[in-house]
Amino acid sequence: MSPATPSPIAFPDVILPQSASQLRTEVRSFLDEERARGTVLGRPDSWLAGWDPGFSRRLAERGWVGMALPTEYGGAGRGFLERYVVIEELLAAGAPVSAHWVSDRQAGPSVLEHGTDEQRRFFLPRIAAGQCFFSIGMSEKGSGSDLASVATRAERTTTGGWRLTGTKMWTGGAHANDYAIVLARTDETEDKHAGLSQFIVDLRAPGVRIEPIRLMSGEHRFNALHLEGVELPGSMLLGRRGDGWKQVTGELAFERSGPERYLSTFPLLVSLLRELEQRSVTAEQLTHVGILTARLHSIRRLSLGVAASLDAGAPADIRAALVKDLGTRLEGTLTETVRSVLPTPADPHATPGSHPELLAFALLHSPGYTLRGGTNEILRGIITRGLEQH
Amino acid sequence: MNAHTIDTSAPVICADAYDATVFYADPDAIAVVAHTTAADAVALPHPDASTAELLAAAQEAGRRAVPAPFAETALVARPLLRRARLPIPDGPLSYALAPDLTIRYAHPAASGVGSAGCSGDDDALLVTGTLRRVPWARAAGAVVVLATAPFGPVLFTLTPDQAVLTPGANLAGEPRDDLHLAALEIPASQVRRVPPDLLEEAGLRAALARSALIAGAAERCVGLTVAHTTARTQFGRPLSRFQAVKQEEARLIEETALVRAAVQAAAAPLDTGVPAARFAVAAAKTQASASAAEIARIAHQLHGAIGTTRLNPLHLATTRLWSWRDEDGDETHWARRLARPLTAANLWPALTTEP
Ligand SMILES: Cc1cc2nc3c(=O)[nH]c(=O)nc-3n(C[C@H](O)[C@H](O)[C@H](O)COP(=O)(O)OP(=O)(O)OC[C@H]3O[C@@H](n4cnc5c(N)ncnc54)[C@H](O)[C@@H]3O)c2cc1C
Repeated sequence: MSPATPSPIAFPDVILPQSASQLRTEVRSFLDEERARGTVLGRPDSWLAGWDPGFSRRLAERGWVGMALPTEYGGAGRGFLERYVVIEELLAAGAPVSAHWVSDRQAGPSVLEHGTDEQRRFFLPRIAAGQCFFSIGMSEKGSGSDLASVATRAERTTTGGWRLTGTKMWTGGAHANDYAIVLARTDETEDKHAGLSQFIVDLRAPGVRIEPIRLMSGEHRFNALHLEGVELPGSMLLGRRGDGWKQVTGELAFERSGPERYLSTFPLLVSLLRELEQRSVTAEQLTHVGILTARLHSIRRLSLGVAASLDAGAPADIRAALVKDLGTRLEGTLTETVRSVLPTPADPHATPGSHPELLAFALLHSPGYTLRGGTNEILRGIITRGLEQH
Repeated sequence: MNAHTIDTSAPVICADAYDATVFYADPDAIAVVAHTTAADAVALPHPDASTAELLAAAQEAGRRAVPAPFAETALVARPLLRRARLPIPDGPLSYALAPDLTIRYAHPAASGVGSAGCSGDDDALLVTGTLRRVPWARAAGAVVVLATAPFGPVLFTLTPDQAVLTPGANLAGEPRDDLHLAALEIPASQVRRVPPDLLEEAGLRAALARSALIAGAAERCVGLTVAHTTARTQFGRPLSRFQAVKQEEARLIEETALVRAAVQAAAAPLDTGVPAARFAVAAAKTQASASAAEIARIAHQLHGAIGTTRLNPLHLATTRLWSWRDEDGDETHWARRLARPLTAANLWPALTTEP
């Protein structure tokens, strides 16, 4: 590892700009208003499970959805670091952000980068207005970690459009969202990474069938998305035919690097502190809380380093993988630590928002933390692959 | 920047000169033991350098296992002397914070009451007691002591030859000497009354200096492990090609990046002052100490048998990690200090406060 090449160990230390603290204050007062309305409930995993289109719209009115999109497309033209400040505040508060989550994080930047001008003019202002919600249609029954093996096909129609056939699995929010970005095979190629393309699929189009898949908690969050000969106009190809793999992996740094990769269970720690305030706290309990807090703080610094890299247009996929492995493991550790610091039987039927109910919720969601968005084993492979180049 | 250089000629295994691949290439090769050379000297930054620069240098000293009180001098002793407006001597320095000492006026005023005297003709002190496990005391030109005198918090300096020295060492063989002071008179010129928060600042400085050393030793573990798993072949492939090895190696890298980030994040707050630094430094030392075990564990596991010996320099880093995590407050101590002021309402603001 020569000092000249950026090492995966040395992240830039970020000092947020002055504008960030002003922004943070504004977001906090917005959250106070929403708390008074009863919409912000301090729930874990609110970016997966907190569905509230009204909240998304009010957030958008403040300019905080699609805020890194250029103003000519309805965005706020602000940087990734400012977006980071907004979303970390929302996640820490357990605000219901799942409706617009994928639009804001992924679909917006992706349409901006790969879309035609027509697509940008149509989708981006709607995304930034909090009125156009996206799902991710990547995984399939036979294609999880090995995503390039997807079997969904897109064939050219005689009218210059596309016909999509196949089944996407675990498609979050497909039953409630407007569109999905679907990865499909357009061409048979030797190299399985070639011949893939991305499409924007209207989830209300004929031939789209959405079959609920229940989580172990009983919640309906994701689905099997059946594409039964769905006809798309030619204009719904996103980016270039055959560039799907490149586009998908380009999105991954955005998908993997955000504060949602370590804050999913943060509200449970807040709940623990609330409980501890009503008791006399032992030195051992303090130790556990301190160790968790130190780790949260340290991971946040790394995560900000990735945001700064993205802001500077620098490649961030290895760093993003590193932070996501650390962060998602912490999400699970946090849950287990909270449980041992204050032994409480997790109870999904306890009063919503009570400590035992939040614990149950975080626990039932916990296996997903280290799977979604690329499993931790795969992420670690990326980190060490990066190392060999140094 | 190159104002002072600490002598590194103490006899140790020279880590940088040792090539593990030689061992495997030549089965007859025994340990390659050398002494540190001038090339291994790490320049001590100018006293005016920012905390971030000093931390980066301390980290490098930790990575190289520099056999000298580098971080102790640059990040603790010198800044404390400066804050107390005492001259800064050249060369290596050390420190002792809040030792258990009996301190009296050396020249009690005639009108003074009681054996300690409630006032003195000057601030010269008479000090009795033991400074325990002082880092590198035998090699230090002076030891900075922060204690409580009859008049309140005090900083004074002494030279090791003024004390009876009982040599001691940590797991890495770094000197940790006891200094016995028997009614030692410290002239007023070496004594300064200091504000009470200087003692807290000193504790934060020492903890952060130690954290930077840990970050450096962790980085050394990564460097050595990556080199080893690339060079070492088993089953006809380099170890680094095995999934199981990659998985562990990635965790080693992650844990090291984490410690480093925590150390870096404390630099600006420490320059800002004690209140700003409390959270960031407590978090840095908690994280550095808490990560040491995992970092050392993975590095050793991936090195196999050779890592357990002096044939390989890994021990230079891991024995330091095992010692440094305890020194200047272990993770339990700092985690409690970090957690004590936290509430449900201020946890998130504490995490997001900018220096
Ligand atoms: C809560 C949740 C929400 C999701 N939402 C969406 C969504 O909205 N849209 C979408 O498209 N997908 C979604 N997914 C799917 C997700 O992307 C996949 O679960 C993930 O990519 C892993 O695929 P898999 O589940 O098939 O596991 P597999 O790939 O079958 O892996 C199973 C196990 O084997 C390990 N493994 C596999 N290959 C290797 C290897 N080469 N080396 C080492 N270990 C390996 C994995 O790490 C894992 O531990 C979601 C998943 C979850 C849990």
